Amino acid sequence: MPGKPKQPASRRTTPAANRSAAQKSVLAARSGTSRWMSVGLPVGLVIALVVVLVVVKVASGSSKPKSGQAATGASASVAAKVTSVPQSVLNQVGLGGVTAPPKAISGAALTADGKPRVLYVGAEWCPYCAAERWGLAVALSRFGSLTGLGEVTSSGSDVFPNTPTLTFHGASYTSDHLSLTAKEIYSNQVSGSSYAPLDALDAADGQLFQGVGGGSFPFLDIGGRYLFSASYSPGILSGLTQAQIAADLANPDSKVGKAIDGTANLITAAICVSSNQQPANVCSAPGVVAAKAALPKAT
Amino acid sequence: MSRTRSGLASLLIAIVGLGVSVYLTVEHYTASTTLACPENAVLNCQKVTTSKWSHVGPIPVAVLGLVYFVVMAALCLPAAWRLRALLTARVAAAGLGVAVALVLVWIELFKVDAICLYCTAVHVCSLLLLGAVLWTTAAEREAD
Repeated sequence: MPGKPKQPASRRTTPAANRSAAQKSVLAARSGTSRWMSVGLPVGLVIALVVVLVVVKVASGSSKPKSGQAATGASASVAAKVTSVPQSVLNQVGLGGVTAPPKAISGAALTADGKPRVLYVGAEWCPYCAAERWGLAVALSRFGSLTGLGEVTSSGSDVFPNTPTLTFHGASYTSDHLSLTAKEIYSNQVSGSSYAPLDALDAADGQLFQGVGGGSFPFLDIGGRYLFSASYSPGILSGLTQAQIAADLANPDSKVGKAIDGTANLITAAICVSSNQQPANVCSAPGVVAAKAALPKAT
Repeated sequence: MSRTRSGLASLLIAIVGLGVSVYLTVEHYTASTTLACPENAVLNCQKVTTSKWSHVGPIPVAVLGLVYFVVMAALCLPAAWRLRALLTARVAAAGLGVAVALVLVWIELFKVDAICLYCTAVHVCSLLLLGAVLWTTAAEREAD
């Protein structure tokens, strides 16, 4: 009967070697466990702390944004001052206090009814929209008749809280030179954890808002040639009322007048690029010509 | 996971954190030229990165984050992992990063009232980095 084949010396194990291997295995298991503990405990503690912070925040109910002043119709005085800023003042201001000129954009020209089209998309809660609406309203009034403006303030909890402004929700515009689509797609009134939706955008405008503007407010597309955000800091309007701002529009030396009238001149110059410099009396005004220098080259 | 792999993981996490910090630093310095609101009012990076809490003295928090991840990336290089003298300092630096991240989360939630997703990405990187550093350090000490 053949005997059991002998194990090579190197594979032969003794009881002592077996014990050593078992001890190593136990040690490895213990070190693995302690390594998991040394990582898991501090990391788990941090995660638990973050969860506690979030739970406290949600439970306190303070995570909701704060509404701004509910919309009211613009007073006759404010509306009149915004829509009839003296030409001499606008000429004196020129580019004024504009700090953020628009971007030149490429693509199909934006037109409607054979006229260049201005597409404004904003949100009543947005403080940067609050700043830009004033200049837009002044500029649009040079090309046509803007009526039905409202008065609101931006969110009470965002940056530059409660910035006084106008709203285009419900406004009407007629012009021989220009077509306007102005939508405030959110109000400044809190609904749930955000702001209540307001005007609806049609699909094509929604694509422009998302595709060209990246979905940020204000979105002001002038004829598909220029894209404006806010042109100056909303902080300039801080602590003022709509009536005070409207009054300052006729003062070319005031900070407010320089910022808003300068913005109006720049928007006007951008519109004139799409309107073939029509109407000539507006597009050749010295204030508009001065502001035009700040426009980037149209692509 | 071997300690070589976890060491490389720590380097990778530090590089990702560095990338997001670079973006936040650029955003911090260019926010004044893009005066706009995001579509979502709660997830609002600009509100966070331009708030009064976005500076420690004259230094923007975004820049501090960038410096932190530069230091951590250097500390997590394979050559640095071979230096035993850095083991404790690396753990301390990773722990400090997570402690600062916790304070910043508290500020976002209770002072600024807005969440910046990019800042959250940096905070997650800090925590993952702490985990990878602790794991690799434990493995290094066992190997001694």
